[in-house]
Amino acid sequence: MDSAREVSDGRLTVEGFSVASRAFADKWKIHNQSFPPWSWVPLINRTLLVSKKEEGYLSLEKIIILSSLEEEIPEDESLNVATDCLEKEETVDHTILVPTMENEAHYYDFHIVYSASYKVPVLYFRGYCSGGEPLALDVIKKDVPSCSVSLLLESKWTFITQEEHPYLNRPWFKLHPCGTEDWIKLLSQSSSSSGCQMPIVLYLVSWFSVVGQVVGLRIPLEMLN
Amino acid sequence: MAEKETPAIILQFAPLNSSVDEGFWHSFSSLKLDKLGIDDSPISITGFYGPCGHPQVSNHLTLLSESLPLDEQSLIASTSHGNRNKCPVPGILYNTNTVESFNKLDKQSLLKAEANKIWEDIQSGKALEDPSVLSRFLVISFADLKKWSFRYWFAFPAFVLDPPVSLIELKPASEYFSSEEAESVSAACNDWRDSDLTTDVPFFLVSVSSDSKASIRHLKDLEACQGDHQKLLFGFYDPCHLPSNPGWPLRNYLALIRSRWNLETVWFFCYRESRGFADLNLSLVGQASITLSSGESAETVPNSVGWELNKGKRVPRSISLANSMDPTRLAVSAVDLNLKLMRWRALPSLNLNVLSSVKCLLLGAGTLGCQVARTLMGWGIRNITFVDYGKVAMSNPVRQSLYNFEDCLGRGEFKAVAAVKSLKQIFPAMETSGVVMAIPMPGHPISSQEEDSVLGDCKRLSELIESHDAVFLLTDTRESRWLPSLLCANANKIAINAALGFDSYMVMRHGAGPTSLSDDMQNLDINKTNTQRLGCYFCNDVVAPQDSMTDRTLDQQCTVTRPGLAPIAGALAVELLVGVLQHPLGINAKGDNSSLSNTGNNDDSPLGILPHQIRGSVSQFSQITLLGQASNSCTACSETVISEYRERGNSFILEAINHPTYLEDLTGLTELKKAANSFNLDWEDDDTDDDDVAVDL
Repeated sequence: MDSAREVSDGRLTVEGFSVASRAFADKWKIHNQSFPPWSWVPLINRTLLVSKKEEGYLSLEKIIILSSLEEEIPEDESLNVATDCLEKEETVDHTILVPTMENEAHYYDFHIVYSASYKVPVLYFRGYCSGGEPLALDVIKKDVPSCSVSLLLESKWTFITQEEHPYLNRPWFKLHPCGTEDWIKLLSQSSSSSGCQMPIVLYLVSWFSVVGQVVGLRIPLEMLN
Repeated sequence: MAEKETPAIILQFAPLNSSVDEGFWHSFSSLKLDKLGIDDSPISITGFYGPCGHPQVSNHLTLLSESLPLDEQSLIASTSHGNRNKCPVPGILYNTNTVESFNKLDKQSLLKAEANKIWEDIQSGKALEDPSVLSRFLVISFADLKKWSFRYWFAFPAFVLDPPVSLIELKPASEYFSSEEAESVSAACNDWRDSDLTTDVPFFLVSVSSDSKASIRHLKDLEACQGDHQKLLFGFYDPCHLPSNPGWPLRNYLALIRSRWNLETVWFFCYRESRGFADLNLSLVGQASITLSSGESAETVPNSVGWELNKGKRVPRSISLANSMDPTRLAVSAVDLNLKLMRWRALPSLNLNVLSSVKCLLLGAGTLGCQVARTLMGWGIRNITFVDYGKVAMSNPVRQSLYNFEDCLGRGEFKAVAAVKSLKQIFPAMETSGVVMAIPMPGHPISSQEEDSVLGDCKRLSELIESHDAVFLLTDTRESRWLPSLLCANANKIAINAALGFDSYMVMRHGAGPTSLSDDMQNLDINKTNTQRLGCYFCNDVVAPQDSMTDRTLDQQCTVTRPGLAPIAGALAVELLVGVLQHPLGINAKGDNSSLSNTGNNDDSPLGILPHQIRGSVSQFSQITLLGQASNSCTACSETVISEYRERGNSFILEAINHPTYLEDLTGLTELKKAANSFNLDWEDDDTDDDDVAVDL
């Protein structure tokens, strides 16, 4: 068994994560062209001058979900203060297109980050409106397919929590990794005839085939080959 | 050029919209707090935009964390240079320190000042070298860092050309170009976008030669394009998705073209993408006529517009980030998460709501009280009230984990006050209060002048017990536990009792009160002989424990204890309460014995067995569970005493306090008297006791 190429205990090393990430991103690019590609965000390790291996995370950002419903956010009345003056002062300009009401776009960012304590990948995500306001979890749940919501309710492995993003130091949502090792083991047992080994290059693909469903990102079957 | 007869249509531009990433406000808050203070001078910032990449959604000018001057702390390599979707645009931020000064800002002057900068750059030729200055923007803001809310307003200054630009024609680029041209233009655009050197240059020239070969050049190279080329277009990254309008950047672009080259008609190319590649169906090509009005000279700065509308209104935007920035909320969600993880991973049937809503009353805020409070917080209990009469003494902080040296200074802070302060510091979401009060005790006679205040204390204690769900008896004397035991039995509240010897400890839960039990018996129709209620602290002095402990009066030595005892006993007391709260029968749960039950989870209680009493010794490193039923002649919880208390109230209490033999007479016991006689021998004098002065009278 070559530990650099295969995973037998459901867990990844940092180096394995880096290898698996690139393999995943490459496959995604080929088979999932309706989505933008995942990009590898390298990290600068300022404490250790010698960068041992390339550390970083995978990022897929600004995935747009359109909702036809214009959600009414309660207006902040205090915002109307002292605005009349502007009306009079600003030049009336007929070359400004008056925008028509459009679909409200929700944006989603996804990061796949390596968890050193669980030794598995973790999916971090967030949603926000076009102006940048973060979306609450209950709004996000309306955006993801209903099967995802039921998956969240039923599955012991996939629950969403809000925690600080390890590199951005701001709260993001994440799928908690505490069951990952176990179901990865199950996956590798069922998919492999030769024991419970899984090639590292397929690790992230298999992993994402499960967690992606929770957030409504399905991957084509060809990616698993 | 063609189509001169077409009536002039005014070219309308789709306004640019702003998007401010949460990370920008986070970074800005740190900058403001750590560096700027009240300095409100304008800050140079960088906005980012890219060509539209979605058929239904326009791109925004975005502020990100890295929009602010460089932060050395950042772990993530700066990706702003050469990123295809993050073309940098210079901007300026005016942040005010008050909402009033935000409202008072002269928006027209600010806009004009930025427009003037753009105009200067056009005149000086800087705009040709670095065309991103054409999209220069400004933001005014007021950051309320106490509430984590931000009010802000963007302006994208644009010149109002007079007469307005008229549109001669506008069509998808795929219709304008021949198919060979389109292919070549797409390829050239993709090359431009793929090169790190050019990908973030949003204004460029597209020239198509007579043999349909397209090339893309920088604006400053216009002269080189004016040769035998058949077509010359002014291209730009268009953030707008609309099929019949160009986006905002074209406005100042046309102003530049008019001013620099004095062209009357120009072809422009609104470059748009899909999936990261040039999309000539979405991209537009238009022909516009830009003429100088007769009286105008190129040197006059045109008027400018550009304040962003908020849902069609001229009002600022606001955003609240309390959920992601308020440290208290973050602490709450982190603590909740920890408990949820415990449930998910180990105890699926754990009821966390019961824990977070239970109200605990801690009688005594000494070594035991501090440990109990800390462990309660660990279980997610939010509501804790302390009752204590003592002050924090110099010897306390090393053993009493809620206090610090500062609490001892002066005459010392009341423990009930210091403990509350400490809990809030540990976890700001705690709902906690402290009551400085002595607990009336039998065998400590009082004068008639004191009667009113003692009875007031009794009433207050009774009300406190009524208004809480669980009571911890953590005082340092035996007799101070009598009245609370009685009141808990009367109100049928969960009572958890912990007491320390020198190297041994006892932790127990009291059974239900006698009256409530008889009510339940009627309701539940349970055979009386099968269910006996559990004893209280005072029952057990009468009813011999099933396993005899030699150190029956261990609590009487508690002022000198091994320091490890209080954390052990305090923790056990809380675990016992949690067991009761998670048990379906609650206070009526029968006492389990560790030797009889399985150690693993059982169906009734996910936490395992629920004993009545736990006694342990650190000299032997041993611990046993015990079971003792309620005694009919108990001085605190028997039906006789409770009904006497209900009938006679204050006079009953006074009699018990003043006449040690009264309770004995009432219940026919001598036990309390014996114990009371030993108080003076075993307990240190109240005045000199600096360790566990929880209750005195």
